[in-house]
Order: sequence, then C-alpha cells, then structure tokens
Amino acid sequence: MSTADPVTPVLTKRWLSPNSWRLSVYEQLEGYTAVKKALSKPPEQIVALVKDAGLRGRGGAGFPAGVKWSFMPQNEEKRHYLVINADEGEPGTCKDIPLMMADPHSLIEGCVIAAYAMRSHHCFIYVRGEVLHCIRRLHAAVREAYDAGYLGKDILGSGFDLDITVHAGAGAYICGEETALLDSLEGRRGQPRLKPPFPAAAGLYAAPTTVNNVETIATVPFIVNGGSDWFREMGTEKSPGPKIFSISGHVERPGQYEAPLGTTLRELLELAGGMKDGVPLKFWTPGGSSTPMFTAEHLDVPLDFEGAAEAGSMLGTTAVMVFNETVSVPWAVMKWTQFYEHESCGKCTPCREGTYWLAQVLERMVEGKGTEEDIDTLLDVCDNILGRSFCALGDGAVSPITSGIQYFRDEFLALCETNKSKQSESALVGAQA
Amino acid sequence: MTMAPEETETEVPEGHVKLIVDGEEVIAPKGELLIRTAERLGTVIPRFCDHPLLDPAGACRQCLVEVEMGGRPMPKPQASCTMTVADGMVVKTQRTSPVADKAQQGVMELLLINHPLDCPVCDKGGECPLQNQAMAHGRASSRFVDTKRTFPKPLPISSQVLLDRERCVLCQRCTRFSAQIAGDPFIELLERGVHQQVGTAETAAVFSGTPAPEPSDMASKTSSGAPFQSYFSGNTIQICPVGALTSAAYRFRSRPFDLVSSPSVCEHCSSGCAERTDFRRGKVMRRLAGDDPDVNEEWICDKGRFAFRYAAASDRIRKPLVRDAKTGELVETSWTEALRVAADALSKARDARGAAVLTGGRLTVEDAYAYSKFARIALRTNDIDFRARAHSAEELDFLAGVVGTTPDHVSFAAIERAPTVLCVAIEPEDEAPIVFLRLRKAALKHSTKVVHVGQWTTSSVRKTNGELLACEPGGEAAALDGIAQHAKDLDAGLAEAGAVILLGERAAEVVGLFSAVQRLAERTGAKVAWIPRRAGERGALEAGAAPTLLPGGAAVSDADARAALESAWRLDAGVLPSSPGRDTTGILWAAATGDLDALVVGGIDPDDLPDPALARKALAAAGFVLSMEMRPSAVTEHADVVLPIATVDEKSGRFLNWEGRPRPFTVTLEGTNALPDCRVLDTLAVEMDADLFTQTPQASFADFERAVSAGRSVVRETNGSGTAEHSRPHAGESNGNGKLKLATWRQLIDEGSLQAGEPHLAGTARTAVVRLSAATARDHGIEPGEHATVSTERGELTLPAEIADLPDGVVWVPARSPVSIRTALGVGHGGAVSLSGGTA
Amino acid sequence: MGMFDPLKGFGVTFSTMFKKVVTEQYPEDYYPTAPRYHGRHQLNRHPDGLEKCVGCELCAWACPADAIFVEGGDNTEEARYSPGERYGLDYQINYLRCIGCGLCIEACPTRSLTMVNFYELADDDRQKLIYTKEDLMAPLLPGMEQPPHPMRLGESEQDYYVHGPELARGRGVPSGETVETSVEEAIQ
Repeated sequence: MSTADPVTPVLTKRWLSPNSWRLSVYEQLEGYTAVKKALSKPPEQIVALVKDAGLRGRGGAGFPAGVKWSFMPQNEEKRHYLVINADEGEPGTCKDIPLMMADPHSLIEGCVIAAYAMRSHHCFIYVRGEVLHCIRRLHAAVREAYDAGYLGKDILGSGFDLDITVHAGAGAYICGEETALLDSLEGRRGQPRLKPPFPAAAGLYAAPTTVNNVETIATVPFIVNGGSDWFREMGTEKSPGPKIFSISGHVERPGQYEAPLGTTLRELLELAGGMKDGVPLKFWTPGGSSTPMFTAEHLDVPLDFEGAAEAGSMLGTTAVMVFNETVSVPWAVMKWTQFYEHESCGKCTPCREGTYWLAQVLERMVEGKGTEEDIDTLLDVCDNILGRSFCALGDGAVSPITSGIQYFRDEFLALCETNKSKQSESALVGAQA
Repeated sequence: MTMAPEETETEVPEGHVKLIVDGEEVIAPKGELLIRTAERLGTVIPRFCDHPLLDPAGACRQCLVEVEMGGRPMPKPQASCTMTVADGMVVKTQRTSPVADKAQQGVMELLLINHPLDCPVCDKGGECPLQNQAMAHGRASSRFVDTKRTFPKPLPISSQVLLDRERCVLCQRCTRFSAQIAGDPFIELLERGVHQQVGTAETAAVFSGTPAPEPSDMASKTSSGAPFQSYFSGNTIQICPVGALTSAAYRFRSRPFDLVSSPSVCEHCSSGCAERTDFRRGKVMRRLAGDDPDVNEEWICDKGRFAFRYAAASDRIRKPLVRDAKTGELVETSWTEALRVAADALSKARDARGAAVLTGGRLTVEDAYAYSKFARIALRTNDIDFRARAHSAEELDFLAGVVGTTPDHVSFAAIERAPTVLCVAIEPEDEAPIVFLRLRKAALKHSTKVVHVGQWTTSSVRKTNGELLACEPGGEAAALDGIAQHAKDLDAGLAEAGAVILLGERAAEVVGLFSAVQRLAERTGAKVAWIPRRAGERGALEAGAAPTLLPGGAAVSDADARAALESAWRLDAGVLPSSPGRDTTGILWAAATGDLDALVVGGIDPDDLPDPALARKALAAAGFVLSMEMRPSAVTEHADVVLPIATVDEKSGRFLNWEGRPRPFTVTLEGTNALPDCRVLDTLAVEMDADLFTQTPQASFADFERAVSAGRSVVRETNGSGTAEHSRPHAGESNGNGKLKLATWRQLIDEGSLQAGEPHLAGTARTAVVRLSAATARDHGIEPGEHATVSTERGELTLPAEIADLPDGVVWVPARSPVSIRTALGVGHGGAVSLSGGTA
Repeated sequence: MGMFDPLKGFGVTFSTMFKKVVTEQYPEDYYPTAPRYHGRHQLNRHPDGLEKCVGCELCAWACPADAIFVEGGDNTEEARYSPGERYGLDYQINYLRCIGCGLCIEACPTRSLTMVNFYELADDDRQKLIYTKEDLMAPLLPGMEQPPHPMRLGESEQDYYVHGPELARGRGVPSGETVETSVEEAIQ
C-alpha cells in the first residue's frame, strides 16, 4: 500500500484500517448506512441516482451503469439476476481482488442496493478461481452479512429479500466476458454467447440479468451516501468519479492509487514515486494488456474514457503497467500474445487461429528468425482479427501488437536485421565451401 | 399495358422490411437473416457454421459483411448469419465492399493455417465447402510458414462415424445438430483455443438412466470414451462443411465426379424420406438425405442412409430358381420354365383348395396393386394380406377408414403445429424416426405437448419433452378410456384444434385399442394418424392387398364396389370373389392344416410374424410355395419356385408414406435386367390366362388409378368385420403362463433383412437389454447389471438387465435381440412371461 | 510429258540408294525414345516398397480421355500398402483410350504416377489393354519389400514424404543403388 496520499480516497479509504474486512470495522466506518437509505426509496429512484451520477462501468468498456440497470424489465414475471464479474484476469489488472480483500462489505452493500434497484433477489459473485484467499474472505463476509441481517429475507425490515452466492471460476480468462461468464456460471463451458438476446433480456438461466464489475458496484454505496453532485465533483464531465489505478512495473512504489478519472500518468508517476532507479520510461499500458500501449509522449494524456480513446487507446481497467527502457517491446508483445493464445476460447476462427499464428510469428521474431515481411504479415493478420472476432478478446489480443509496431517498429526491424545478416553470412560460408 | 413508373415506392407488405443489399433494394420478411436475403438476390456469402435448420452460432466468422444502420455504418463487419434484416439497413457483401471481401479472405486464410493438406485423401475432396469457398474467397498462396496443430487421426466416435480433428473448422454444426435436432448430445466441444476439438464423453452416461454401454458391448471401442450413439449420426457427416466427419461405410469409396446421383425415396420406414442415391459402376456407393421441407426437411435416419448394401449382396438371386424334384435343391432355370412351373402349380391349386398371397410390407403401390389384382383375378381369391406382423381383424376395420386419407388429414407439418400430440403404441424414434424429429421440433420450437401412452420413459419420451401415460402392455385401451377422468388437461389438450393422435403398428396387438382410439378421437375431435413401421404398408392398404378391402378401400363384400371394379378391370360380371379372405394368420393356419394348396409369398421374414413356428409349418406344408425374393431367406428354403425381383434402386414406383403422400421415384440403376414384382406377376398371370395390365410400374399405376376411381363412384358400405370367420386366435399370445407382462417393439437398427451387409451400421444399434422396474428386479433377485432370463413354455431369452420406470410386473425386451422374440418366446406385446435371474 | 521423264523418276530412286537409310527395322531393332517420351505409366514405390499411390483419383479426374479408373482403400494395421490412411485399392488404365497427354502425371500429388518410355502398347485383345495395378506397379528395387507390410521408414507418412530417401539410406541401401523407382536407372 502506498504511503503517498491518494488524491481521492473513496473506495480505498477504509483499506488501511486494521481488519478493514470485518463487518464491525465496516460498520464503524459508516458501512451499511447507504443500504438503509436506499431501501427506503423506490427502486426507480436509485437507478435515476446512479444515472445522474454518471457512473460508468469499471470493467473496461465504460458503459453507463444506470443505463444498463434501466434495461432490466420493470415487472417481475421472471426472476432477475445480478451477477458481479469478479473474474479479474486481465494482465496487469489487480484492483478488484484487493478491493474484495480489504473491503468486501462495500461490494456486498453495493450488491444489496443494486439488486434492490433492479428487483433482483439473487446475486452471484463470480470470482476468479485462482484467488482462493479472496474467495474465502468473500465467503466470510457474506456469512457475516447474513448474520447481521444485511442479506437474506426481509433485509433491515424493508421486506426486500436477497441471497448472494459466491461462485469460483475454473480458470479461464474468457469468463471475464459477461456472456461467457454466464455460461460458466450455469455450468457450461465458458464461451461467449450470441447477442442478441442481451443479458438484460435473457441472461443467466434465460432470465433478465445484469452483469457489473466489482468496482462499479462497490462505488454505488458512496453515490447513495454522497449524492450524484458530490460524485460529479471528481473526474471529468463525461467520466465522473474516482477510479482505482493499479500501477505496476518499473516504478518506485507500485500499488493501488485512487484518483479521479482524468488524472495523467505524469501525476500518477509522482504518486508512485517516479520511475524505478530513474531508468527512463519506454512504454506503458493505460488499462491492461488489451489496451494499445502508450509511450513517454503520452505522459499527459488524461486518463478517462474519452482521453484515452482520443489518444488511440482505451481506458480499460486502468491497470497501468509501466515499462522502462530495459524491456524489449517485441518480447513483451510476444509474452502478451502467448497469453491470448492460451486463453482464446476457440469459439471463433479469427481469435482461435489468429492468436496461434501471431504467437508463432512473434516467437520466431524474438528468436531472431523473423523477416521484414513477417512484420507486414503480423499487421495484416491483426487487421483480420480486429473487429472480426466474436467477442472483444480478439480485439484485445491484437492491440499490443499493432500499437507495439506502431511505436517501436524499429525494434522489430532490428530483430529482423540481425536475422538477415546471419542468413547472408551463412550463405557466404556455403559459397566458400 | 401500364408500366409502374420507376420512382414509385415499392409497397412493403405487412411483416416485411425494406433494405438495400449491394445497392439493390429488397423486401424481406422480418426476422430473416442477412445471409438468406443475399442468397435470394443471388449473392452467395461464404459460410461454414450457418445452416438453415440450426440455430445461428456466429462461430466461423466467414460470412462477414458491411452493414449500415440508420445511415451510420457499423464500426465492425457483421456476421450475416446472425444478423436479421431491419428497415433501412444498407448491406454491402463481398461483391461491393472491399472491407467485407478482405474480412472474408482473412478468415479463410486463418481457417486454412491449421487445415492439413489432406485433400487428395479426404472423402470430402471435390464436394467440400471449404475447398470451394477457399477457391472463391481465399488467397492463392499461404503466408503461414510455421508449425500446424496436429491431432492423431482418424478417431472413431462410433462404429460408423470417424472424426478427423485436424480437418475440423469447429463450426459446431455437428454438435448443434446432435443437441438441437436429434437430442443426442454425445459429441461436444472440448478444450479451448487452438486445441478446441469435437469429442465424445470420456466416461459415464450423458443421460441419467441410460448408463453407457459396457466397453465389451461397444461395437467399436473408441479411444475417446462413450461412442456417439445416435440414430441420426449420419446427418452430421452430411452437414460437416469439411471432411472432419466421415463414414466408415463410404470411406475412400469414390469421388464426387465418379458418382451419378439420382433422387430416390427411402424404402425403410413409412416416413418416405427424400434421399439422393449416388452410384458408381452399377453399385450404390452412398445415400444422402434429400431436401423435402414437407417430409424429412434435410434429415434422414442412419438406417435410411446406410442400409442399402443388401441390394449388392453377393447372394442376390438374379435368375429364377425351381426346386429339382429329384435332388430337392433349387436350381437356376430360365424365366419361361420357372413361370410355366409356377403357373401350372398355381392354376392347379386355385382350382383345388385354393392359393393365397402374402405380400410383405415393403412394396411400392404399383407392386402391391399387382399382387392384389393377381390374387383376385389369377387366383380368384381374397386371401391376401400385406401385414407381415402381428395383426387383428379389428385393425382391418380401422384401416378401412384410413384408406384414401391424404396429408390434408394429418401431415408432418400438422404434427409440428399441433398443440398436443398423443402417441399411442408407437415408439417414434424406433419406428418412424422422422416423425420423432418433427415431434421433437414441435416440442422445442412450438411448445407442443407430447404425451406417450407406453410403459416406460423411453428416449422418445425424454427427447420430445414428453409426458408418459404409463400403462401395462395390453392396457393401452383402458388407459385411453381413462383419459377423460384421470388426465383432464390432456383431454382438454386433445380437444384443441389441431391435436393429433399417432397410432403405431403395435396397436394391433392390444385388444380394443382401435375402438378406444376412435372413441377418444370422436369425443375430443383430435385427428388420428396411423403410422405403420414399414414403407409399403400404407400403399398396400390403398392397393387392396388386404383380405376385406378392394383397391381404393371398398369392402369386398360390397357388391356395387365389386361390380364397379369388374367393369374397370373389364371382367365379366360376378367373377370377383365375394367372400372376405383370410388374414395372414388365417392363411398360414389354412396352409398348415391343408386348407390351402399354394402360397405366393413376397418379402416376408417368418420371424416377424405373430407365430413364426406356424409360418414355418405352413411354408413346409403348403403344396406349392412361390417366393418372390431378392436374397435367400427362410421362405426360399421352402419355396418350390423362386422368382428374383428388383430392389428399389433397380425399379421405379412410388411409396405412400403414412400421411398418404405419394413418394414417387425413378430407376436409379439402369440396365440391371431386374424385374419389379408387378412385371413378374403380370407375366405369371398371362401364363395363368389372366391379364393384370401391370407390365410396368407406370401401367400398373394407371390401372390402379382407374380401379380407385371406379370404386369412388360407388357409395362405400360401412365395413363389417369380414375376417371374423377366418381368424384364429393368435397362436402365440395365450400360451405364456408367467405372471409378468411383456412389452416389446422393434428397435430401429436390428437384424432386419434390409440391414444386411452393413456392419458399421449394426455397430450403432442399441444394446439389447431386458428392462424392468427396480421392484420387479428385486422380487426376482436380479441385480442391475446382471443378466435376466425371460421365458415362456416356448423358450427363453437371456439378456443384461436394466432398471427403468416400468410398471411393476412388466418387462420390456426388444422384438429382435437379435433373435426374434416371437421365435424365442412365442409371445408379443402384452404376452405373459416368466422371469428369473440368468447367467450370461 | 517429255521422253526423259520416266528416267528422271528412276533418277530419284537411284540417288536414294546411296543415301543413309531412314527406315527403322522395328521390331528387329529397338530404338530408344527421347528421355521424356510419354510411354506406359508406372506406379512408383517408396524406398521400402510401400506404394506411393494414395488412391486419390486426381489422375482419373485430370484424364481428358477418361482412361483411368481408381478406387481407394483403407490401410489397416494388419494390411498396409501405403503410408497414411488411404491407398489405391484398384487402379486401371485403359490404353485403348489413353492419349498419352501426361495430365495425370501432373495431377498426381505424391509423384506416384509417372510415365516410362515403353511404347509397345498394342494388342489384338481389348481386355489385355486395360492395365491393372499389378501391371503398372514399379518393380521392387533393392531394399524394397512387397506390401502389405508396416511402415519401415518412420512413424508417419510425414517421414516418408519429407525424407524418405535419407531414411532408406539409413536402413542400409548403399549409395550406389537408387531408392527412387521413377529415375531412369531404375526403369532400365
């Protein structure tokens, strides 16, 4: 945990308290006050409040949460489900797991409020299977909440019932995609579903379902308590609110830094104590490996949904991975691509076959056996994957490659050059023999 | 003449939308997929996963097109197989959009990077959608120089279907077919990413209640666990867009350019599926499903697809055979000689105690009509019956009402639309697989309520989301009568417009069932459809190959009808026999006891008959037996003259399917010199001084139509039960002294004579087991997994025991296991049997 | 017509008597053809004697005269005729129809089908001019073994196609001997 003062400690404000994950500590720190307020209001009002606050999804796509909630049918003919996407698997992203470790009750409180707003009586938290410690803590927190009457039948005497099920994934990156997550939750192989129908019409068990990110839901109690105007004080016009920036890599103090949306990397680096050992910055990702990389030129890009997009990338999960000059871009890109090849679900051709091909070409290049044509092939294959795949995994897989070649083409070329000189040498040797 | 001015806005009909595809304005029904709209305009968008009868998947991404909605182009190319038309949409396919073209080429290149260079050895080569589309939409050369992903191959996933995972493009057509259409999800995608593959279950049962067969019982021990055991597995081979699924039967047999394809009709069950028969050098190589939306859509069962080798068997009878008086052997002889011998003997028998005809259930209308006319004119008798199975007089009365019904009465489409379908004494998946597929489609897509009157929750019940109305075998009639009181919702369902009752061949074994069905139908207004098991039964009924019915369905006792027929047949008045004939059992009884001198027998297997022992006795006792056969059989063993006849591939004709829909087909294999039954009978009749006018199937059908229209001019009498005086108690049915009741029917794939010569198909048959309830098993000391012995005074049968939800005191055994249950036990459905624990 | 014209005619005859004779005394003398002459076909073998033909029928497909008939067969563990899954079960060339164009050779994906220079393809019996697989198979060279037999050169057909000859050398075929049934020395 950082020692520098975060700019806006909202979500993270309780994290440093001892035993912050305990219900008693949470309650001392104004925990479960928002739920009392929320349950006294009609559900529509909560949806309107979240809409007014302009809360945008924290999972990467940035879809306005209030709008998403309003897609849920108003009647209750079918069961409604709220599903929390806690399958945090994006390389570099590490905000949800710390949040659930340090402050699980804020997520549970958010779930109660969101479920109430959407008339859902069952909420599933789909947690990445590998983080057993987090699953245990979440289970404990849910148990505590049940015991205290924040979950179960007739919550706080409001007449509202809610059950929360914590479900562990089985280790597939694709299950972070909302429809694949639903498939996995139903007990099938996790593969994205055809949309439409969208989850709000037919999601989990073909019932209306909303899938939200952990951070999004954990923000909701603060909005209920603070109001939409307070929320809009932070961040920018279109991307209001605070955001947890997970800074990793070659910085002095990597960690979670909560700052308003629109903060720049320059500011974040200051918070994180600057580049490690003063080695200059080479490239960085604004939101995990699926977002096109930035370079030192982009130090002053405001990190909100619009700013990142304008500069040619995406805000993603605000997993800022910082790399200094010692890192080879083709090597880093190869590692990422290997990850995507391993995690491609196999449903659609471009992603399944494309990542397999890209990984092989990059491996060859890093070994020094690439050619200049390979760079063109890489770009063309990327073009054939981007926007052609079934879900966003394919798009994410090509962004490190295209952005890497865009900013560091020379480095790729240099690898090919060494290969060329090796080849011509051997040709000469052959001629002499 | 007025021409519409060009500016005029085209009217958009209700429920339609207007969009622009490649600059062309087009009106499309709402909900239509873009790929089909483009296809109607003549633009074929390449595709793999798309199939018109399967739910969209959007997996292969081959069909990408550019789409503009409300004037805004969508940022990414869209899969045209998942996107439906919308008003004002602008679509650009590969014809007009470089983006779509590039996207399609890109996906094609990606599909090919891991595709092996198997085209020369692949069965699909030459008719492969991947090959064709790669030629049309792919790059000329490959940029992929790295290592391809490989798998061991081929992997047999059943004895019939082989899987080559390297060739697979993972379009999911096969898995979606198995899950959605057939309801046999035995294959599924496994693993992920580039290692994703189609595979079968590793262990255990896919369905609870049906444990996977013991490894030793598996026809093909696969390295991939439980086999792909489906009656419809062949369809996955046909819809596979690459050569990933191939059949053991057709493996490496030929190339598309070798094959001559001819449309044909399946000769196995009464659905009358459209098929395509491909032959090479006078030999049928394979059969494929034809496309007939009214009947089989694009699916056929594995029996229809693979069971055709009998026609090319080495023991086919090609020349007439006459039994040598001295040696007692059948010897080849000339047609002239054989016909003379047969005609002399039959004429003599006719003038003595008479001759009778058993046609078998596999005839075309033309052939059945020839038999019918032969019996009445040449043999001057009504002793003719097409029912080579358990039958009853009651059934004949019921069938008189079936004659003449057309698809307007009940059709496949009617089943699909029906709010409620009641299946009585029929196991659709085993007896009429295509009816089963429609029932399943109805249940899944239109929420049709399917109720089965039967003994246990069979796969047909389960896969049609059906409800079981359980009763004892033989108690079906009482169960139907009890519907009004005990199943009020079903009663109400049957009263809804469009409700259908399906009745199978087993109904003839249940006393009073036909009248119970009729009572129920009259009370509720539901329509009744009779679905026999064999392809020729409905046509034979129509052709009058029955003891009480004339061609067209009039009763033989009806003097006016006889007179009309006599004039149509240009006979002297009063020559047609007027007394109702004997039914199959009556004929056999008479032959066995010396009441008949001669028998003319078509394609009959004595083991199918109610009493095989009686049949064998009758064949041996009859003074003269003429067998019209394709291959040596139990009948030819006793025959004095055997006349070879043509298989369906070698003749033309038509079947009438259960709907009453004519299913005409032409000659597939020309020049085989094989003669259809109608031609043989015509010539034989001439030798006996009678003219049938059935020289060719065409002539026979024309004559048939004349006879039917003659009959139609007469008011039909209500049919009295004509066979009563002749019928005998069904010999086998009363002799069991056991305490348990037997339920039985034939499974789709068993030892039937038309399934001979196809071991790969036989390997996909369901294992023969004795099914019984847990309590019955306990009472008889039988542990699940052990063997059980079912016995009567006649004999016994030992098979593995399996627990199912049968009523206590009932055992189920397949009618062929592989021995005929009637031969082994002498009883049929509803018979009494004893049970004991047995040893294997 | 002049009076010396007949003599002129004899002059031609005379002068020819002293020129080199162009008539070939076939069949007493057998002249070799050009090396690439399109003669009889041959079905080649892998260096261990397994057949190269995979029964793909591409030759039959390419044939403009419809002279070739092929039917594929399934290699089994018990009886293997070629590496891989498929082999040519039946192979016939009808030399009454063959026009010697060589398109079949070009179509062959495994270099199984080649042509040798043998041209004596005439007979008084049509039946004899339909050459079957036995007639067309290349003779067994040293190191070859009459199929069916298991794959001797490697685990899969890949080994045969990628480095069959080297593997054969490895199994002891001396470098003086050829392992290719299609090369000239082998044919003679």
